[in-house]
Amino acid sequence: MAYSEVEEVKGEAGNFAVKVRKKARYVEEDKCIGCGLCAAKCPTLVPDEYNMGMGKRKAIYKYFAQGIPSVFTIDPLYCRTFQGKKCGICKKVCEAKAINYEQKDRVVDLNVGAIVLAIGYEIFDPSVIELYGYKRIPNVITSLEFERLLSATGPTAGHLERPSDMAMRDEIKGLERRIAGLKGTIKTFEERYGKSTGEFYRQYKAGELGEEKDYKEWAKAHEIIPEVGKKLEELKSKEPTFHTAKSIAFVQCTGSRDLRFNSWCCTYGCMHSVKEAICAREHEPEMQSTIFYMDLRAHGKGFEEYCVRGAREYGIQLVRARVAEITKGEDSKPLVWYEDRVTKKVEKRPFDLVVLATACVPSKGIEKLSKMMGFKLNEAGFVKTDPASHMDTMDTSVKGIFVCGCAQGPMDIPDSVAQASAAASRAAEVIKQYG
Amino acid sequence: MSKDVLIIGGGIAGMQASLDLADQDIKVHLVERLTSIGGKMAQLDKTFPTNDCAM
Repeated sequence: MAYSEVEEVKGEAGNFAVKVRKKARYVEEDKCIGCGLCAAKCPTLVPDEYNMGMGKRKAIYKYFAQGIPSVFTIDPLYCRTFQGKKCGICKKVCEAKAINYEQKDRVVDLNVGAIVLAIGYEIFDPSVIELYGYKRIPNVITSLEFERLLSATGPTAGHLERPSDMAMRDEIKGLERRIAGLKGTIKTFEERYGKSTGEFYRQYKAGELGEEKDYKEWAKAHEIIPEVGKKLEELKSKEPTFHTAKSIAFVQCTGSRDLRFNSWCCTYGCMHSVKEAICAREHEPEMQSTIFYMDLRAHGKGFEEYCVRGAREYGIQLVRARVAEITKGEDSKPLVWYEDRVTKKVEKRPFDLVVLATACVPSKGIEKLSKMMGFKLNEAGFVKTDPASHMDTMDTSVKGIFVCGCAQGPMDIPDSVAQASAAASRAAEVIKQYG
Repeated sequence: MSKDVLIIGGGIAGMQASLDLADQDIKVHLVERLTSIGGKMAQLDKTFPTNDCAM
């Protein structure tokens, strides 16, 4: 059941009564064939969460192209119909007759013998670290944002464009649209009143025409165009300086292993950055990546070899340093300040892109679920497990409720998968015991 | 008494647990908050240390 949330859990191992709210998609799941005609015609653009806000999706959308279930969903926060405006385009174009603006949330009652928590984690918001300037300094991004830039399904189709250039290109497009709109307005008035704008404006300024609404609007459009045009030219003159990223800094342990924020290690950050640096070099042969790290924790099977290969074959420079500050530099290149442990001096280096390897923090809904279901959380806020006193590491403090993956603490994909199998087998034991 | 299992979260862990249970002929209800399952892993391009595609 996708697009659903657990609302209530009662009972005990072998017999839990669960209420799940199935949210209204405003699209009939059994009718939608996922053809995407609705999204193609939808006029409303919305920042795309899947691409971390870089790039746009429509108000009727699928979270990502390969998403399962393969049905579309209307986002009522943005959909014109739900915002009281005239639209209904998706309903008109849908050949499967799947759009249903009247659909309501449904509460489904379930009876289950065991529960597995696989609620994952949240990415630490690095904007609370003032000195790193995330969201304030252009081209300072998080590792997941960088992942989207690298991805062929991402907002740049895998080209390593700098977000500052992307933003400016969007601004240029916006201004061009604005000018086209203003020109359209002027043309309408010229046709309506049968005179050229030059003639109209002379008469208007001479006070021969009065202050009618149409005249005011016409005059304003005429006056604004040169202003907008000037701004557009200014931005366009910068276009030749746009370039893809050729140098990247990875700032490890952003918000991790730092008593001011999160004391724990995210466990995957080092390997994630090495992987991103390797992939970046595959995209851009001239790429120079530098990883600023505390220790390089490469603790899994084949991990150490991967790091060595990254440094040898992909030219990744590994610098042991804790980045102190990131500041604005010329040409939207952030400056990374750090202490060089060889020269024993504070250095600063400009990079096209700075990638923050962000910490792994408990998911937002975890406290609500913990209160609802009664399981305990540990000091960090992840689901508490106690292998010392329990039979199994996957057991929570409530019998019949198990946990796996990042819900119980940071871990990488293979560990999550292994834990998931362990939690599944514990759940199966409960089912066999009570069922 | 019920023989079903509820799995909360449709990321890589939730999906793996669901598949394992379903393979044992246990009925699974997988609840996901977002409109598609896949979780954070679906946002990744490639995975270490093999550089396999995440999707």
